[in-house]
Order: sequence, then C-alpha cells, then structure tokens
Amino acid sequence: MTHRDWVRLDNASNIFLAARSAADPKVFRLSAETDHDVNPQLLQEALDETYDRYRLYHAVLQSGLFWYYLQDSDLRPLVTPEEQHTCAPIYQAGRRNLLFRVIHHRRRISLEVFHALTDGTGAAWFLSDLVNAYSRRRFSDSDRTLPLEGTSRADEAPVEPVHALSIDSFAHYFRRRHRSHASGSAFSRAAGPAAFTVDDSAQSPAARWNISRLRRRAEKKVHHVRGTRTPDNRTRAVELTMPTNAVLGLARAADVSITMYLTALFFESIRISSGGLGKARTLAASVPVNLRQFFPSTSARNFFTTVRVEHTYGQGKDDLGSICKQLESQFLPQATQEALEKKLRWFIRVERMPGLRIVPRPLKDVILGLANSHSNRGLSVAVSNLGRLSLPEPAESHVGRVLFHVSAVRPQFCATSHAGLLTVSFTSPFVETDHIREFARMLTGEGIDVTVAAERVTEDEIAEGLS
Amino acid sequence: MRRCPTCSIAIEGAWTRCPLCAAPAEVDAVGDAVPSPLPTVPLTFSRRRLLRRLFLTSLVVIAVSFAAQLVLGHRPEGFGVLRSGWLGVAAMWLVVLMAVRKRRNVAKGTVYLVVLIGLACVYWDYLTGWRAWSLTYAVPIVCASSIAALLIMVRAMRFETTEYILYSGLAAILGLAPIGFLTFGWVTNPLPSAVCGALSILALVLLQLARGREVRLELAKRLHL
Repeated sequence: MTHRDWVRLDNASNIFLAARSAADPKVFRLSAETDHDVNPQLLQEALDETYDRYRLYHAVLQSGLFWYYLQDSDLRPLVTPEEQHTCAPIYQAGRRNLLFRVIHHRRRISLEVFHALTDGTGAAWFLSDLVNAYSRRRFSDSDRTLPLEGTSRADEAPVEPVHALSIDSFAHYFRRRHRSHASGSAFSRAAGPAAFTVDDSAQSPAARWNISRLRRRAEKKVHHVRGTRTPDNRTRAVELTMPTNAVLGLARAADVSITMYLTALFFESIRISSGGLGKARTLAASVPVNLRQFFPSTSARNFFTTVRVEHTYGQGKDDLGSICKQLESQFLPQATQEALEKKLRWFIRVERMPGLRIVPRPLKDVILGLANSHSNRGLSVAVSNLGRLSLPEPAESHVGRVLFHVSAVRPQFCATSHAGLLTVSFTSPFVETDHIREFARMLTGEGIDVTVAAERVTEDEIAEGLS
Repeated sequence: MRRCPTCSIAIEGAWTRCPLCAAPAEVDAVGDAVPSPLPTVPLTFSRRRLLRRLFLTSLVVIAVSFAAQLVLGHRPEGFGVLRSGWLGVAAMWLVVLMAVRKRRNVAKGTVYLVVLIGLACVYWDYLTGWRAWSLTYAVPIVCASSIAALLIMVRAMRFETTEYILYSGLAAILGLAPIGFLTFGWVTNPLPSAVCGALSILALVLLQLARGREVRLELAKRLHL
C-alpha cells in the first residue's frame, strides 16, 4: 500500500463544508464560450494534460477527527456533456470523488468546482490552461509555432508546472508542525493553503467570514429577499451579456468602480422589485476580495476574503449616483493592504488558538455553521466580480464571453469580462426573477444592449424547453 | 433572436415568453431563435408534487387505520397494547400532518388540532367500550389548553388581526361545547367541563370588549353574500 500525501483543510475552506446545503452545495462554475461546437475528444486530451500539471485538482476530501483534509488520489477526470443543472452538488460526504468536473454543451466548456478546493481566481487559471490546451489541439495548424507550455501571463498565473510552486512562507509555517508528514511532496506544496507573506503570518486567512460578523452589532434591520424555492433545489441562473465598454462608461460617469456600480444597480433592483423594502430598509452585500493582488501568491487554494458594504434607504440621498459613491467610500478603506492585513492577522490568531484546534470536527462544523448563519442574517445579497480575464493565445482569439455562476443561498450575481463582453450571471435559490428584470431594464434604459440567457427551472419552463 | 419588447432585451433560446417578465417574446427581423447556451435539464423531483403525494398517501393510510379498528370490534377486552399503539401512531401522524400544513396561521392550526384531537379521542373512547373519559377529560382539557395558549400567543406574538381573530373566536366557541356535555349529563366528573366553559366565556367576552368592532367587520367580510 502506498502512502498518500495529504494536507489539512484550512478554516477558510471548512466554512464551505459547514455552510453547504441542498439548495447551496457551494459549487461554482466558470464557462468559456468558444467560436465552434466543442469537440469532446480534444477536450478530454486537453483535460488530461492540464490535470497532470495541477496536483491540487487530484485531491479528494476526507474527514479526520479534528479536521477535514485533502488527500492525493489516482482518479482521472472525465469530460461529460452537460446533463445536470448548473452548480450541481459535487462533494457528498463519504464519496471519494474529485472536487471538480469539466463539462461541455454546444460551444461552452465549463469547469465546476467545489469551493473548498479553490476560489474563482484559482479556477480561472485552470480553465485558462484547459481552454488553451484545447485550442492548441483544435487549431493546431495555424498555431504550431507557439511554445507548448505556459505561453503568457507570467504576471498573474503560475507558468511553471503548478506542482513546482514554492510557497516559502507557508512552508516555513507548515514544516514547524507537519515535518513528519507530507512536507516535501509535490502534492502537499500544490495543495497547501495560500501563502500570506507578511512577517510570521505564514498561514492562510482563517474563518474570515464568520468571525468578523460576530463582532459587528446589528443596529440596522437588514432586508432579506424571500421567494419560492425551485422545485428540485436547483440554482436559478440567468445570464445577462452586455458590452463591457458601455457599462464601464456608466461606472466612470458615476466615478466609481464597475463592481460598486453594479452593486448599486443590484440594490436598486431589489428595492424596486420588493415594492419598497418594507420595514427592513438596509441592503447589505458581501463582496469577495482577491488577496493575491495585495499579498502576492501563486497558490491555487482559496485566497480571498469578503468585505461588506451596505446602504440604508430613507436616510439621505437615495439616487443611484449617491448609492454608488457611498458603497465605494465603504469599500475602498476596507480593501487596502493595511486593513486586510489587520483583519487577517486576527483570523490567523483565532485559527491558531490551541483551544479551538482540539474541538472535534463535527462540533467545528456546527460552530462554523452557526457562525455562517449568523453572518447570513447580516446580508441581503452577494456580488462577485472576477474582473477582466485574458487568455493565452491561441485560446484568446477563439473564446468569446466567459461566464461565472455560483450556487447561492441568497440572490447573487457574478460578473466577469472577456472579449469585450461583460457577463453578469444572477443566481438565486428562488424561482423569482423580478430583481433581474429591474436590473436589465435599468441598463437598457441607459441605452445598453443586453442579451439574456436563462436556465429553465420551473415545471412549465422545462416542459416548454423539452417540447 | 427573440426579443422582449417590454424589457427591450434580446433572448437566447426558444422562449415564447420573456424569462424575466413573462411577457410574450417576439421574433425579431433577423429571424430564427438562437439556441440556448444552457441545456434544458429535466427536474430530478418536484418538491410540490412530492409533498402533495406524501400528504394524500398519509391521509389514506390514517383513514384506513381508523376504519380498520371498527372491523376488529370495539369491546374493552379486544383491545391490546398493539391496537393502542397503532391508534396512537395514526392519531399522532394526523396531528403532526395538520400542524405542519396549517403552520402559517397559528390560530387556524389550533382550531384544526382541537377538532381533530377531540374527534380522535371520542372515537377511541367508543372503540374501548365508552367510559366517557373523552368527553369528561380529553375534550375539555384540550379545548381549555388551546384557548389559554391562544390568549398567550396573541399577547406574545404580532399577528395580522384578520389572521387570527376569527379562528380565536372559533376556538372559544368550541370551548363552549363542554357546557353542553354537562347539561346532557354525558360526563362523569363535572370539573374539567366547567373550567373549560368558564374559560371560553371569559375569552369571548375579552374578544368582544377588545376587538368587537374588528370581529364584526371581519365577519361581515367573510360572510358577505
């Protein structure tokens, strides 16, 4: 019997295990739309090549007495046609399966990942290498001259084979406690938590969502969107596609970032579709921040934190421009290196507390679950902007829009942009699409061309789609 | 590509209605519908159908369980532990089912429970040879408890007036029934019925004093011909 490498799952990823539910299996999807119908054989070959370079993706999740851990495996992923709804559950307790899947439908290549494995940026690296490997095979004649491995993006993604990652500060910390175990193997280095390269804080940011909320007092009544659950717990996904530059122009005119502009639009659409919010007049959004831009790291593990912004209606100006400004003024001070460092230091201290470490895992799940539901009470919606993606050639010229879906416990949107097309994908556990309607109408009202694609969810919609 | 004229957006896929606002979609000048980039995935289950089927099956099983007791005879000596257990499970299942189904209106749910528990007890008493324990103890105690519970809940929770007012009244009126049991001499011990009747009268008087006008308005609305 061979000895398998393993690494402990950090608290940040544990929260996804504690918080997953039937309606929100904590799965996200990144899709790239090519200019032709996808060839499954070539995609499988491309997946095999990419998979060999990403040791982290070989991991299966197992539970120990005190922690979950990621363990190396010999499993091989298979490309499948898209036969399940978006963000269908991946991790099921007791099953040792891979924590991601690659699917294709018509012109789309989609990567679905269990969130405990990696975050949006980490998955974008994998998808970009996958799509590039595929494009090289598909368009081999015209691009034969290009080098095979890691053609570009040295600035943002690991160009070396990923298992050769060096995470010095993490290794420094990791060796102190686990020297006897997987300290030197390729898997443990690839699967190690993202490095937090500040002084001795060589540990991943810990349970950053939950505990920060515990400290906040709920003075204002936060509005929660209610609705009818979908018939079989599937995620209601609606994609809006629009020209990036046009929306960028609107955000610039409001003098805010595109994320805050879209968040303000989202707040407005929730307010209008709810018929005036009622008594709970505060809308709050959680916005993930990619930590790699502040603390350089090439780890593909989860390495983000969330920032909370809110707006209370009926206290001062409520026009779109003012809401944008207000959100931006809350967001910017929280998204600086100093502010994040302070926050993360605190989390790391909590994660390292010996008293907490010896709590058995099922109890940790319960505690994290409670902390998560507490933080959910302070949130109305969530937004996530992956930003503009750039792919290496030849993939870059053959991929159109890129889409980003997340399974959601509350209405949410995920935005990303590629090839001049901004996609805003709304997901929700509820059937209702009223807030998306208002969102789209506000954009078309500004003269922006919006295209909608929706997943069929209700019995009537599915009957129409199958007929 | 199809378009929604109301939202002025283009729609990918063969939607006859706008997926956002459900207004009829129109086919624009370019012609054919663009195929949807997302496949149509059949439902793995439908929560609504599943729950309805579960509810109806449960009702049938409970009804058959109660009916079967008659066939098995209704003398005290024919009643073993097994039959008691069976009846108990069926009755409890019925109570849970109704409590879940009527969970959105507490007062309405309470009235349903009082009626169901009362009937089940009377039937049980009849099956075991009628010693009048149901009318003497079970029915008055259940009625009185539910009236007391409603009085407390109205104080402790904020209800829409129309939601609870009629059913609270109805519960109080049901509580008057034990006075009838007393008058006809159907009880072996008069105390529980007397307490229940007194509590009902008190509740009705309180309701009339505090909310008389609202009750009359609500009744006028509900009984409008």
